[in-house]
Amino acid sequence: MGSYMGYQVQNLLLGEGERAQRQVRFRQRASRRVREELGVLKGPAMKLGQMLSMQTETLPEEALQELATLQMQAPGMHASLARAQFKSSLGKYPEQMFRKFDPEPFAAASLGQVHRAVTLKGEKVAVKIQYPAIRSAIENDFKLLKSATLPTQLTGHVPAALIEEIRRGILEETDYLREADNLEFFRKGLSGLEYMVIPRVYRELSTDRVLTISYIEGESLGDFLKRKPSGAMRDLLGTRILEMYRTQIYRLNALHADHHPGNYLFQSDGHIGLVDFGCVKRMSFNLSELDGCHCRRSWRESEAAARHFLALAYGPRAPYSRARKMLPMMERMSDAFYPQSASADIVIDYRDPKSYAKFREISRQHQKLVLQNKLINPEFAFLIRANIGLGHLLHELGATVNISEVRRRVPAAPLIGHYE
Amino acid sequence: MKRKASRAPAEKGRGKRVQNKENTKRAILRAALELFAEQGFYRTTTKAISRKARIAEGTLFNYFQTKEDLALYFFEQELDEVIQWYERDRRIQRAALAEKLFAIIHRFLERLTPYEEFIGAVYLRALAPTSKLSPWSLQTQERNIRYLRFIRGILAEAEVSGELPPVGDFGAYAFGLFHLAIVTHWLRDRSRGKEQTLALLDRCLKLGAHVLKKGGWDW
Repeated sequence: MGSYMGYQVQNLLLGEGERAQRQVRFRQRASRRVREELGVLKGPAMKLGQMLSMQTETLPEEALQELATLQMQAPGMHASLARAQFKSSLGKYPEQMFRKFDPEPFAAASLGQVHRAVTLKGEKVAVKIQYPAIRSAIENDFKLLKSATLPTQLTGHVPAALIEEIRRGILEETDYLREADNLEFFRKGLSGLEYMVIPRVYRELSTDRVLTISYIEGESLGDFLKRKPSGAMRDLLGTRILEMYRTQIYRLNALHADHHPGNYLFQSDGHIGLVDFGCVKRMSFNLSELDGCHCRRSWRESEAAARHFLALAYGPRAPYSRARKMLPMMERMSDAFYPQSASADIVIDYRDPKSYAKFREISRQHQKLVLQNKLINPEFAFLIRANIGLGHLLHELGATVNISEVRRRVPAAPLIGHYE
Repeated sequence: MKRKASRAPAEKGRGKRVQNKENTKRAILRAALELFAEQGFYRTTTKAISRKARIAEGTLFNYFQTKEDLALYFFEQELDEVIQWYERDRRIQRAALAEKLFAIIHRFLERLTPYEEFIGAVYLRALAPTSKLSPWSLQTQERNIRYLRFIRGILAEAEVSGELPPVGDFGAYAFGLFHLAIVTHWLRDRSRGKEQTLALLDRCLKLGAHVLKKGGWDW
């Protein structure tokens, strides 16, 4: 990132017109660099870097989007190691437990790799195998990271709670049984959306380090786009993805937080497969309530209402004196996201960054102020990353989505609870 | 002609005796291993072994004077098995060097798994310089040379294919020591399914292959 600072210095010396051109070129290069450099770390440090840059939004948009989709990767396993690790976890070799087992993986997954297989009953499955002893390796890395980030923890800019939240998220990813629970939870919770395809778990063929799920047909986003799907199809898929996302956060109060494009499988009839439920955030707060507050501008009502709202947004431990400074920003955010004079629907063409630049700019300014006032709420860490990742996905897909329409279809649940 | 004809049955008879002897030896080892796996190494008596192998206790001592002798024989059998397995497995013969070596050590470890306590016990004894099990003892030399020749062959193939710079006999010796170190780690590994050993083995071999190929550390 040294080159980013170099660029900023150079920028002062250049004229306006040239600057804009250079900026685009540079940002594309920078985002690739950042991704590559963080990608090399491939572990908790990468993840921490990723999450922190999401929180602070200090990087250019392109870099943020690239970063949001970075995944933790484990070293690849050759067939002998994958087999050995399978046995170390399940007690038998894959060929003893499956009719067919492909020794070559077909996909990399977070912390492991995925193999095709056929069960003894003849069902096609995907078997995810975790690299051995990755959990203890991650735990060790975090001990180091905790002390490395101590200065920022002491100044309060990066609260220890945020690092703890990221640690929790990553360690949860190492437990495939938890992922199995997540899969079943979302499979049930999203069953109302007939176009969503979520794999079934084979419990008898799964452990905390091996996960066997039904094989989902479908193409990766890149392959799907190569076949030049119609604009209507892309819009439909984009709308569906957003509807599914809103259903998660407003109905299930839980979130598939890893919007890596590889986790989506597109089928030609508009069905969408969703895999890799390792990184799931179960929210401890009610996002619908926060939404309701925004719609009503609840903080204007009374000091108690303002206190309640700010505790929702920045966590119960955020001091009111500091959090209060955010209220003018909240007015602006509400005006952008929840306009009171809703004359026309909000429609976003995700191909064109300009069409959502207004929203991104506001949330960027908001995050900057959050950082300045030391108000980072760890509860939102995964939500922010998911939002940015989702934006990237819809941009790649090139969809135009009527946001208001999706909101009407999945409204925030009615306000629950009272102010004390 | 006559002499030749008269010698053949004698030869045959001796061959049969050798074969019988070998069969008894194997039966004893099998019985002992089963008992080690069931009851543990320390609790298994020679009496129980001879009963299980259906021989007199005195006969047992004709074949194996100590448990160390039993262990020596066990390791010889294991080496035979691993070499035969390697020669049969076409896939592994085509694999990259790091995978081949991984699979060889893993094959050994896997076969040791049911007898961990037994191996742990003999490993401790092998540390004594006077022990027959010591890698420098006279009794282990024949097996060691067979092992080194086996590994040397695999490394030589990799040298020819360019996977490895010339490492010569030294490479096989170094790998042998590495193998011993991994077994020691494995014996102490308390992680589930001994996955720490799998990770260590994999990383060391990949790193080793990488470093050797590059001809040194790429700082």
